[in-house]
Amino acid sequence: MRQILLAAAPIAIAVFVFGASFGVLAVAAHLPAWSVVLMSALVFAGSAQFAALGVIVAGGSVLTAIFAGALLNLRFVATGIAVAQSLPGSRLLRSLLAQLSIDESYALSVRAGVPGRPDGKTLLVTGACLYVVWILGTSIGAVLGPVLGDPKRLGLDAAFPAGFVALLWPMLSGRHAVRCAIGGAAVALALAPFTPPGIPLAGAAVVGLWLAR
Amino acid sequence: MAGPLALALVLGLAGLSYAMRATGALLPNLPAAITSRTGGLAPALLAALVAIQLTGPNGVIHLDVKVPAVLVAALLAAFRAPFIICVIAGAVVAALLRAVFHL
Repeated sequence: MRQILLAAAPIAIAVFVFGASFGVLAVAAHLPAWSVVLMSALVFAGSAQFAALGVIVAGGSVLTAIFAGALLNLRFVATGIAVAQSLPGSRLLRSLLAQLSIDESYALSVRAGVPGRPDGKTLLVTGACLYVVWILGTSIGAVLGPVLGDPKRLGLDAAFPAGFVALLWPMLSGRHAVRCAIGGAAVALALAPFTPPGIPLAGAAVVGLWLAR
Repeated sequence: MAGPLALALVLGLAGLSYAMRATGALLPNLPAAITSRTGGLAPALLAALVAIQLTGPNGVIHLDVKVPAVLVAALLAAFRAPFIICVIAGAVVAALLRAVFHL
């Protein structure tokens, strides 16, 4: 237990700061503070929440934003299958506990487990800690956000593409990921001039699935 | 954004995210050939989001403060700077360019 918490501590700090920055940006994008905290409590996926917000800030519709965020979360289908066998209880309970899997808790549970079987306890303990910290960070960011001032003067509109690049870069290890990124961007750009918002992202998703290996 | 619209955004995203994480527990026998490909989604979508935000409606690059902001963030990310540093640096670059050049 102590080892699990020690391994999770530095990640918890990073998750807290990520949550606070999401809270600040979401309130600056004129989302009501309660909805920002609710989103963190119910979605619990930084990159998806960030992507959905980025679509809203860029003038996209709510449907496009949901679509973008949900597509980014599709990877949890794969991690969910990997962790399901390590979780206790009935199918319903396991489907609830699987909500604690995010990139960080999944990575730690894989490291603590044996090949092909992530460690369930690590996933649950780490996931629960990060869940609390994520909501705490978001709440503090949502409270601090309005104090900071005019979002555009502060460059917050540029914070989104900057954040997307920062999320993307560490993923670009290996030829497949680079191929998916270039293909996704190219298809989105080709579709953007003459399709409604959302379609370019759908095109990028199809290319990502197609080029994944 | 109005309250009901924000609630729709939150619940829509939350519902789909729940379903995706629950799939493994509810349908354990999905073929690996399908699930292993989901790894390609995140890089493709994030690159597409960057591309769309940096271009105008005609698909050509739109030169404003976002372009240097993204370049600085990418450079920092390449040197393994933490996420929050990249985001703040991007915002600061955009804010400074706006303040100095009235862009």
